[in-house]
Amino acid sequence: MTAITEDHTRRAMAKRDQWARNRTILLLLLPGAGYLLFFFGLPLLRTVVGSFTSLDGAFTFDLWVELFSEPVYIDGLFFSLWLAIAPTVVALVISVLLAALLQATFPGRRIFGALYRIPLVVPGIVAAFLVMVMLDRGGMLSRIAEPLGIDLPRMVRDEWGIGAILASTWKNIPFMTLIIGGAMSAINRDVLHAARTLGAGRLTVLLRIQLPLALPGISAAVLLTFISSLGSYAIPNLLGPAYPLPLSVHMYEQGFRRGNWPIVYAMGTLLSVAAIFVLLAYYSLIGRLTGSHARREARS
Amino acid sequence: MSDTRRQKREGRWLAVGLYGYLALVMFVPLVVIALWAFYDPAVGWYPPDIVPTSYSVEPWREVLADRGIIGSLVLSLIISTTVTFLTGALAFPTAWALAHFPFRIKRAVEVFVLAPMIVPGIVVAVSLGEIFFRLGLTQTVLGVILVQTVGTLPLMIRILTATLEGIPGELMLAARTLGASPRRALMRIALPMAWPGFLAGGLLSFISSFEDFEKTFMVGAPGVQPLSVRLWSYLGGEILIFPTAAVVTFILLAPTLIIFFIAERLMKENVLAAGMGKL
Amino acid sequence: MAGLSIRGLTKAFDQVRALDGVDLEVPDGQLVTLLGPSGCGKTTLLRSVAGITDPTEGGIWLGDRRIDGVPPERRNFGMVFQSYALFPHMSVFKNLAFGLEMRRLPRSEIRKRVAQALHLVDMEAMAGRLPRQLSGGQQQRVALARAIVIEPDVLLFDEPLSNLDAKLRDSLRDQLRALQRRLGVTSIYVTHDQVEAMALADEIVIMFSGEIVERGDPVSLYRRPIFRFTAEFLGRTNVIEARLDGDRCRLPWGDERSVENPGIDDPAGVAIRPEDIAISTANGSDPHGEIAERMFLGAGTNYVVDAGGVRVRVNVAGTQNDLIDIGTPVRLTPPKSLHLLRRGRHGSAEALA
Repeated sequence: MTAITEDHTRRAMAKRDQWARNRTILLLLLPGAGYLLFFFGLPLLRTVVGSFTSLDGAFTFDLWVELFSEPVYIDGLFFSLWLAIAPTVVALVISVLLAALLQATFPGRRIFGALYRIPLVVPGIVAAFLVMVMLDRGGMLSRIAEPLGIDLPRMVRDEWGIGAILASTWKNIPFMTLIIGGAMSAINRDVLHAARTLGAGRLTVLLRIQLPLALPGISAAVLLTFISSLGSYAIPNLLGPAYPLPLSVHMYEQGFRRGNWPIVYAMGTLLSVAAIFVLLAYYSLIGRLTGSHARREARS
Repeated sequence: MSDTRRQKREGRWLAVGLYGYLALVMFVPLVVIALWAFYDPAVGWYPPDIVPTSYSVEPWREVLADRGIIGSLVLSLIISTTVTFLTGALAFPTAWALAHFPFRIKRAVEVFVLAPMIVPGIVVAVSLGEIFFRLGLTQTVLGVILVQTVGTLPLMIRILTATLEGIPGELMLAARTLGASPRRALMRIALPMAWPGFLAGGLLSFISSFEDFEKTFMVGAPGVQPLSVRLWSYLGGEILIFPTAAVVTFILLAPTLIIFFIAERLMKENVLAAGMGKL
Repeated sequence: MAGLSIRGLTKAFDQVRALDGVDLEVPDGQLVTLLGPSGCGKTTLLRSVAGITDPTEGGIWLGDRRIDGVPPERRNFGMVFQSYALFPHMSVFKNLAFGLEMRRLPRSEIRKRVAQALHLVDMEAMAGRLPRQLSGGQQQRVALARAIVIEPDVLLFDEPLSNLDAKLRDSLRDQLRALQRRLGVTSIYVTHDQVEAMALADEIVIMFSGEIVERGDPVSLYRRPIFRFTAEFLGRTNVIEARLDGDRCRLPWGDERSVENPGIDDPAGVAIRPEDIAISTANGSDPHGEIAERMFLGAGTNYVVDAGGVRVRVNVAGTQNDLIDIGTPVRLTPPKSLHLLRRGRHGSAEALA
């Protein structure tokens, strides 16, 4: 009899403790997560809902139909993707090389380690400005090339967005190098030494040991670079061609210049979906990298 | 030893290559911008001249005579400082909860906190710009601070969480056995030990706020003009004003680089990599 | 196969000399252990041999081929690391196959050799596992197999057993010894554990502060060390200041013994191993001292005896003796003949413990 009541009280107390704990956690989460819920979650929700709402407030698919039928927007979407993928690929190749080289020792390594990161803190507009003064017609490169009889292709406001791609690449290399380098230096040095004593040269160690082991870091860097280039506005606006315009530029023009908010929300939703799609691809890759091990572990 | 000597030679070649790369992509463009900042507008600088034929401080005088530029610099500093402290204060409790309490929806909260880094900033900036317009917050400093904090908060929470996870739970328990209440243990043990995280996250928040253009532009322009927005007005308008833009670039870069090199000295190399290496 | 010679090897970092003119011969097929406290340079020496660290001066020869300056991947030395250093993203099979793939062996040959090596360390069943799915002992066996599957000219061990618990360490140590004997590979084994060193070595090299203190086979090094440092580092010992008179010495508690190596200038004292002293209760006869401390260890009992102003450690083996209480007057019986120790500039190893 008493045993049962005791058990009851204990369970009641445990429940009260649990409740108090949950309240503490909620209070702790409130400032940070609450802020983001309000100033990030709300606008995002409004964007998604707005993409299905006509100007008079009715539910509609018209905006999506418009988005996928107007050549301006279709070209814009592909151009946005091009301006995200191209800098990611170029920056990845250079960053992997830099990260690998930075594992070695050489004179002035510390200073180089600080200097190469400068673009990390340089605004995109300044990156665009650098590209202009170097590569635009009348820029430094053409001033040097012209007397030599070299005719340079147009690189600023060109239809392939070469200038915009170079500016994004320039801005993202340090970030990628930092993350990939961090993933590489987290590898136990003895593992690399072991590979050397087993007969692997430095290139083989890079390809067969360092890169596979740094893959989680590499894919995180790729993901974040892709997304930051996908939404960038200043660089394509300053360096990109008049047509096509990427969706980010369309969003500003349609929203703030024309007040055509519904189509802006549709484009915003589309960009967000593209980003989340890439995030899911990343998670499935990481899942495959670590999950297969977990599965095999579970079997054994 | 022959091998040591060979390694030294390889190291020298590596240094030559890497510094060559640095000169090409960083040093040369900056020098060209410097040339633009010091050319003589009376003479001009036209192709095919590689360097200007005549120099002056005229571009600087012009920019500094426009009193707005100093105002922009001060405004930028005020906004970035406020954003940094706001971010730190908002981030700490959440980071603590994420680092030290197991709870059911933890993974969901982690992903949500990460989301602002995944969803392109322009989406939130445009949408917040429209919402703030209705609330009368567009073209106000408060509006700019609020929108910038959306960008800085996720990074700060991640870095602080990583730092706090590094503090062994036993330490807090030890403080408790020595007579400290949970609150005191938090203030006396966890908060001071989280200092490197605050420092790293704070410096990154400051820099990211100082260099932010897109969010600030969508919410603040044209009424609120920190440096980055002002630089835009010289480059993005109908006419390009290279010399003025060059001068503003240096005024914008100077504080950023100073903070950046302080950060380099103070920060442990791997804080950013640890915070971002795994999402 | 051939022996290894190291001559005048020096490694200077900014301020310190991790190695200072080390000379060492490792005869063909022998196992030499480098023993010393942490920071003594033993690991630097091993890594220089492996080619992971570049010495500042000196040379290394395998037979008559000079190998310093040869990058590690062209030395054909197998190395076993303290942290195992298995490739975490490769299965056990792939880990073993790696070195053979580097040597461009045909697939069938690789499969055959890996199977043989796994059989040697009794890990055939684990070929498909990833390193993280193995226990520490299994990982170290895989690491050993990976080092021997390439049929190395020299095997290098960097404290391979120090991350394992005591029981596992003993059994792996014995397996490792048997394997090395069977393969007859010239080996260098770094450790800070003197029991491990004695159990494994053909020759032990004692190192301190970048230099070799003393070397010898385990038995003579333990029984007749030259320096106080060696005597104290290899096992425990009582170093007792005794009054010398030709080849006789008088111990502090009054006994007199002969000295087996007289004629040493300013010796550090005589060495008496705690297990070499017999102890008995005085029972009315003239006592040498009294029991100050007692520690019962199961397999034996350790005493500290206060005798003539010095503290003497005495270990009594076996479980059938009557325990002697603290404060009891006792008599001590050291061996007939005692061994004198030189001071050397390394001083006492006791301070390092």
